[in-house]
Amino acid sequence: MQDKIDQAIQQISKVIIGKQDQIKLALSCMLANGHLLIEDLPGMGKTTLSHALAQVFGLDFSRIQFTSDLLPADMLGLNIFDPNEQSFTFHPGPIFSQLVLADEINRASPKTQSALLEAMEEKQVSLDGTSHPLPSPFFVIGTQNPLHQSGTYPLPESQLDRFLMRIQLGYPDWQAEKQMLQEQNDDVTQQIEKVMDLEAFQQLRQQVFTVHVSDNILNYILRLVTFSRESEQFPNPLSPRASKALLHAAKSWAIIAGRDFLIPEDVQAVLPAVAEHRLRTSLADFTGQTSLSNKLLEAVDPLAA
Amino acid sequence: MIYLNRNLSHLLLSLALVILSVSLFEPVLSWIQVLVFCAFVMRISLYLGIQKHSPSIRTLNLLALLSGLVLAYFSWQLGVLLGMVNLLVMACSLKLMQLRNQRDYYQLVASVLFLISCGFIFEQSIIYSLIFGLCTVLTLLSLLAHFSPTIPFTRLNKRLLIMTLQAIPIGILLFFGMPKLAPFWQMPTSQSAETGLSDTLTPGDIANLSQSTELAFRVTFDDQIPPVQERYWRALVMENFDGKSWTISRQRNQLKRNNFVRNDEFRPRLSGPFYRYEVLASASNQRWLFAMDIAVPDDQRSDGAIWQSYDYQLMSKKPLISNFKYRVKSFPQEDLNFTDYAFDRQINRSIPTNGNLRTRDWARNLRKMAGSDRAYIEALLDHFRTGNYRYTLKPELMPVDQIDTFLFDKQAGFCAHYASAMAFALRVVGIPARVVAGYQGGEMRENDYLSVYQYDAHAWIEAWVDESGWQRFDPTAAVAPDRISLGLQAAVEDEGSFLDNRTFSLAKLKSVAWINAVRLGLADLDYFWSRWVLGFNTEAQKDLFKTLLGNLSTGRLAALSLGTFAAIGLLLAIFYLPNWHPRKVHPADKIYNDAQKILSSYKIHRAHWQGPLEFAQKVQSFCNDKAGQAFTRLSKLYIASQYKKSDGNHELAKKQIRMMRSELRKLKTALNNPG
Repeated sequence: MQDKIDQAIQQISKVIIGKQDQIKLALSCMLANGHLLIEDLPGMGKTTLSHALAQVFGLDFSRIQFTSDLLPADMLGLNIFDPNEQSFTFHPGPIFSQLVLADEINRASPKTQSALLEAMEEKQVSLDGTSHPLPSPFFVIGTQNPLHQSGTYPLPESQLDRFLMRIQLGYPDWQAEKQMLQEQNDDVTQQIEKVMDLEAFQQLRQQVFTVHVSDNILNYILRLVTFSRESEQFPNPLSPRASKALLHAAKSWAIIAGRDFLIPEDVQAVLPAVAEHRLRTSLADFTGQTSLSNKLLEAVDPLAA
Repeated sequence: MIYLNRNLSHLLLSLALVILSVSLFEPVLSWIQVLVFCAFVMRISLYLGIQKHSPSIRTLNLLALLSGLVLAYFSWQLGVLLGMVNLLVMACSLKLMQLRNQRDYYQLVASVLFLISCGFIFEQSIIYSLIFGLCTVLTLLSLLAHFSPTIPFTRLNKRLLIMTLQAIPIGILLFFGMPKLAPFWQMPTSQSAETGLSDTLTPGDIANLSQSTELAFRVTFDDQIPPVQERYWRALVMENFDGKSWTISRQRNQLKRNNFVRNDEFRPRLSGPFYRYEVLASASNQRWLFAMDIAVPDDQRSDGAIWQSYDYQLMSKKPLISNFKYRVKSFPQEDLNFTDYAFDRQINRSIPTNGNLRTRDWARNLRKMAGSDRAYIEALLDHFRTGNYRYTLKPELMPVDQIDTFLFDKQAGFCAHYASAMAFALRVVGIPARVVAGYQGGEMRENDYLSVYQYDAHAWIEAWVDESGWQRFDPTAAVAPDRISLGLQAAVEDEGSFLDNRTFSLAKLKSVAWINAVRLGLADLDYFWSRWVLGFNTEAQKDLFKTLLGNLSTGRLAALSLGTFAAIGLLLAIFYLPNWHPRKVHPADKIYNDAQKILSSYKIHRAHWQGPLEFAQKVQSFCNDKAGQAFTRLSKLYIASQYKKSDGNHELAKKQIRMMRSELRKLKTALNNPG
């Protein structure tokens, strides 16, 4: 199983060059059955990453470009009267996919946003009194553009934490970008091979639950969240939902690292992605400033008994 | 964080400082009070967010420099103690405006606590003790808020309350059980506390004193209580008259000094009925004590602390910098003829060569007409009684020939005027006479104790007639009998001048029943406080030990002291026990910590947020290969023991620990021999 994970990482690295950590984070987010928010400038490979993830696990993929006039029905689907059958039939929208890329999620109106977030939470779509279950697995990768905020509806703080992780891709380094420029083939789908079928993927997800968590690790996580609550440096302390998310994401990270138990480094690796958008909810301080999650990490000793 | 403006701990601390500086109203200069108040307002506005920034350091430096200069100017008049206290209050207020970092805050807390203890130099009454206690509690609350800024205020209060209650038994034990050591250094005497009689009697002084409601002393009688007419409390004898003021004679002082050096104490042999009582004198920074004639110390302790002199005065051997308790026996029917007549006569007949001519003529005429000395005295008293004299607390100024002006023109004055005039009239015709200053009367509290206030101050005269010794005559009693029998307030009732410089004084409202009850209740409380708390000195402690232990052997005393300390230790132990409970350290943790310590000595430290795996990588990059590998293996074992699922296999766990130990040894050797 482990080599399959390594293979998957290697496959994705072919198109997203030099971003091992982000790829691993995205993978662990999927393994932890969480939704991913990618926040970056245009052209950094957000879409490419989502494509590659779908490709590697053989998931069907759809992309919804969010605009200010996008209506919930455009995304969820709608009941249309069929004159032959004399009845309404449901025409599912693009959200009925295993992996949905919600591009520029903050461009849509709050109404549409909340329809998406509801679907993410409930894993089903309710329309005219009937609920239509979404496919399983169901992942949403939302992207946000941190700059150019005019005419957008930033996600409300209360809904940001529906995303398990928030990651940023950032610019590639010199070597990586050079390598990328040397690549001839631009088509993602052609480059990437499927390494896992759905069954293997689900198995892997089950494996996450079996990761052993010692008391020491639980105490470490508790110290982290408690510190965020007791220190005045954190305007938005971490909620119990956050601590649960942290644990789950760390477990997936351990699986990716090939371990069946958690060590402090697992928690530390996922904490910035899991906690940063919960600690600091506004987009405004995207650039500059030391990150709050790093501050939190540096304040707590993982070994203190 | 210290930098936050909305800081409750700072607000509380500034509140403590304000209350403290207001309570030190007298010693602290008013402009410094204003400075403190400004700092307080600054803190409030920072707290409420009206202001965003505290003043810049340059502004404050300038302010500090200017304030320092002004204070230096005032310090000349203030003296060392007051100057220093003022400096401290000023520094605190400036620090309060600034508070940039933790150190500033701690400094301010320490200074405020020190100031609180300084407050006890000036005031020790129960009210002030409560105020100072409140300030201490506020300061502690501020510290608590500083250390746990996220805890809500109500919980802080609760915690502080619990801690204070825990501290009270320890405080009581320390108070009663700790040996009372003599102070290591002399307590600086404060100028502002100097109240009471003055050793110069220029008529006019006592009018000021009459207006003060401060307590002079308290008396507890053992059994019999003398009637009010007999309650003349001698404090000072003034035998030198320069035409204007009465002062203590220089010859008398010289004699006293000589006697003291020769250890020749005045010890009259007295007999007859007597009163026994205990006096609790308020701090006055003076040495004179108060007693009725003829007084001798009643017990060993008082005898040791009191010096008796030949003018029937009792003097404390040390100035009364705090309340002083002594026991006295008074023999009211004994004549005051135990002293050297020749000396007394010599210094008590001299008058200035000029001045007050009308009085001289008038006195000589009167003496001729009277025939005898005794008749002359009677005639004088009669003159005061029948003449057009008036008792008043608001006499007019009499700058020249005071006695002439008083006797023939103004004919209105208070005790000092009458005493001065009569003593002068006696001296003119060659009768030895002197002025005695002290207190008269006092307020009886339910046959329990007698309070004598500063407004009971009085002056009378003594004259030597008929070889029967010094006799007391009180011309004031002739003029205003009410002053003696009913007290000062009755004597000046028509005038309305009783305490009229005090806008609000409970003593002034004696006629309103409930206010009087409150006032007397407060007096009771104050009496209790002075007697049992402030008066709890070495001797009182000894008495307490005696009642506890029976007789005082060294062994028993030592046992008691040790017992006290043991009890305190026990109380502290109960408090700290939960923290002392040894925490179980996992052996793997211990070995890993040892390894960390060894690495630390080679300047390789684990950043406290680093996990074991990350640290192992760091060590590998910093150490030689052997050590790095050893530590990596050790880290892996540590991770396995700490984070891996244990199947309850103790053998495996033990094996892991053994392996870790061997890796630790390998690490040591690898580090020691880098080759």
